[in-house]
Amino acid sequence: MEAPKQTPTSKAGDWRSYQRVILPPVRDLHLLDVALRNGAYTALEKILKEGWERKRLVDEVKASGLRGRGGAGFSTGLKWSFMPPDKPGQPRYLACNGDESEPGTFKDRQIFEYNPHLLFEGMMMGAYGIGAHTAYLYVRGEYADYISHMERELAKAYAKGLVGKNLFGTGWDCDIVIHKGAGAYICGEESSLMESLEGKRAYPRIKPPFPAQKGLWANPTTINNVETLACVPLIVHKGASWFAGLGAPKHPGPLLYGVSGHVNRPGVYEYPTGMLLTDLIYEVCGGIRGGKKLKAVVPGGSSVPVLTAEMCEGVTMDAESMRDGGSMLGTAGVLVMDEDVDMVSFLRRTTHFYHHESCGQCTPCREGTGWLEKLVTRIDEGEGNLRDLDLLISLCDNMEGRTVCALADAAAWPVRWTVTRFRSEFEAKCKPSLVPGGFVSPETLGEAVADPGYVLSD
Amino acid sequence: MSNIHLEISPLPERNPERSFTPEQLVWTDEERARIDAYRASYPEAEAAVMRLLWMAQEKFGWLAPEVIQLVADTLGIPYAHAYGVATFYTMYFKEPKGRFVLDVCTGHSCQVCGAYDRMAHLEKTLGVHMGETTDDGQFTLQEAECLGACGTGPMLQITNGRYVHNLTDEKLDRMVATLRETGSWPFESVTLPQDEDEMQGNRRSDAEATEKAIPAPFFHSLGGHRHDAAPSHDPLHEGTEGA
Ligand SMILES: Cc1cc2nc3c(=O)[nH]c(=O)nc-3n(C[C@H](O)[C@H](O)[C@H](O)COP(=O)(O)O)c2cc1C
Ligand code: SF4
Ligand code: FES
Repeated sequence: MEAPKQTPTSKAGDWRSYQRVILPPVRDLHLLDVALRNGAYTALEKILKEGWERKRLVDEVKASGLRGRGGAGFSTGLKWSFMPPDKPGQPRYLACNGDESEPGTFKDRQIFEYNPHLLFEGMMMGAYGIGAHTAYLYVRGEYADYISHMERELAKAYAKGLVGKNLFGTGWDCDIVIHKGAGAYICGEESSLMESLEGKRAYPRIKPPFPAQKGLWANPTTINNVETLACVPLIVHKGASWFAGLGAPKHPGPLLYGVSGHVNRPGVYEYPTGMLLTDLIYEVCGGIRGGKKLKAVVPGGSSVPVLTAEMCEGVTMDAESMRDGGSMLGTAGVLVMDEDVDMVSFLRRTTHFYHHESCGQCTPCREGTGWLEKLVTRIDEGEGNLRDLDLLISLCDNMEGRTVCALADAAAWPVRWTVTRFRSEFEAKCKPSLVPGGFVSPETLGEAVADPGYVLSD
Repeated sequence: MSNIHLEISPLPERNPERSFTPEQLVWTDEERARIDAYRASYPEAEAAVMRLLWMAQEKFGWLAPEVIQLVADTLGIPYAHAYGVATFYTMYFKEPKGRFVLDVCTGHSCQVCGAYDRMAHLEKTLGVHMGETTDDGQFTLQEAECLGACGTGPMLQITNGRYVHNLTDEKLDRMVATLRETGSWPFESVTLPQDEDEMQGNRRSDAEATEKAIPAPFFHSLGGHRHDAAPSHDPLHEGTEGA
């Protein structure tokens, strides 16, 4: 690495000398014996043997400032503390969200392949924190190879008495069950995930009641992302203050950045939160392929607003900075696009995704995603009218915040922001219009006057 | 007005043709043990339906109505419930497919990295359009949503299993030839760029060992796309025994 030129606005500190902790450089760490030599399951052993109060662990996680890595960035400790008091005879559950289907996101898969024991330990600690004895790991069905890989390792951990009954002789039990999905993006939404775990069609549930009140089989349940839970053993090992001091103060900790698209070295990188987006693209990933110019970045999975190249300057990878910079951190799955990308065709594929994945329960989502796709397709094929652009925005207005789950919002945001931020590109693909001053036939003139928002097309 | 004698298209057969005989629709002892383990993982039988549908699909190749009925009967849940689940999730095959189903990711990241060009190349070499199966029943070509391997796009998945990363036309030709010849493709462990710098390459020493043939489901080992089945009757009403 070259001499550090500390960029004043980066919040990631001395990231060039950062030592990885979620995916530390240890050969064959995914194998149980190697993991054990490297301290796997000792954080769990510590809290069990020292007889930590459940609240102590929750407070420690709160103090660390850990925020969910599944997209919403909610405080993990706070979420755990929403679990109601124990009721005798009532089971409680932890569900780990490994659905990872948001386009552009591929970080959890690396944990499955390279450090599954850290995840298992984190899941059991999460279960401990919320008073559960069963932790379900929901993995998308496409990860079949990674599921069999994890099942092998989980069986070894069971055989060694590291998962299951009477752990470390303390009398505390915890089971881990791997649930294989079967291809539906919506299962990543937490209430839909629970429906799927119960063996049903995965229709999201209306909230409230929230999962902490009525979750799996109507019992208290907490849902956390894979990367979120993998951070928990690290917090106990290294201390909440270590975690809180890493990266962006309001959104601290190690973070897996998944960079894809037109960079020289795409892949998953582990660094503290708060990296400058430009450091990530130009230094970590070696810049844009073929010496091309940067055009746009989608910084957190396909549902977050797209950033233009100018907007990328100075934003850092944490929730606050991303919000101020005009987007969201989401899953930190960064898609980088060069100058050759046609934003209309790009958006067309994204609208197809949400239309395909809408579960169809809510009218604004079921119909709206279809309309978005049809309109963007029409524009992409050169058949669109200029007023379609306003119609798209108005459709977004009628989808956002009006549905059972956030998929409708996730479908509307990319449309709203791509059309707004790259409007001239969309306009250029629309049919030529008879704008004021141009020729207007007597018949259409009446219409144009009657509707001031109407731009005439020929 | 004059011609009211519109031709009425014939109604479909009420009883769909069966693809599997009752003798075929049984679990082995080993499979029964796995089923019991899945069943015991959940407080309710219904929850195990997704795993059982997976087992059934791996065994029979696709979820014919009588296969779904077998799953429902095994768990003691209504056929309608199992059918509802099978039809909600895209990875369950509701119709017969080729021996190798190629799911080419054209999502977000793969799209901008040339996925549609790779798709066009496959369409040309296999002689089918997206969504179709080759005449010899070997390959079905499909489009998939993001498969969670965006850093190595464009990529594809073979029959709900193996991932093939960093596709080029040359690699696709090699893959198609290898699948035809050997029926298998190695597991590709994606090396983290930081591992390249700090560990001079991939961190796993056993990634190769994970290579194994992609098992042909029972259905394909019977040698066909639609093999001559038992006398047709209605699996919806008759359950799995009989014939
Ligand atoms: C449509 C939709 C899809 C989602 N997909 C995922 C996903 O694939 N993985 C994930 O961890 N969270 C996903 N989420 C977020 C989850 O609902 C939930 O907030 C998260 O798993 C909570 O974990 P965390 O607090 O650890 O982030 C999705 C949300 C929505 C609305
Ligand atoms: S918003 Fe869309 S995906 Fe979510 S519940 Fe409604 S229809 Fe289903
Ligand atoms: S977009 Fe193809 S794997 Fe994610």
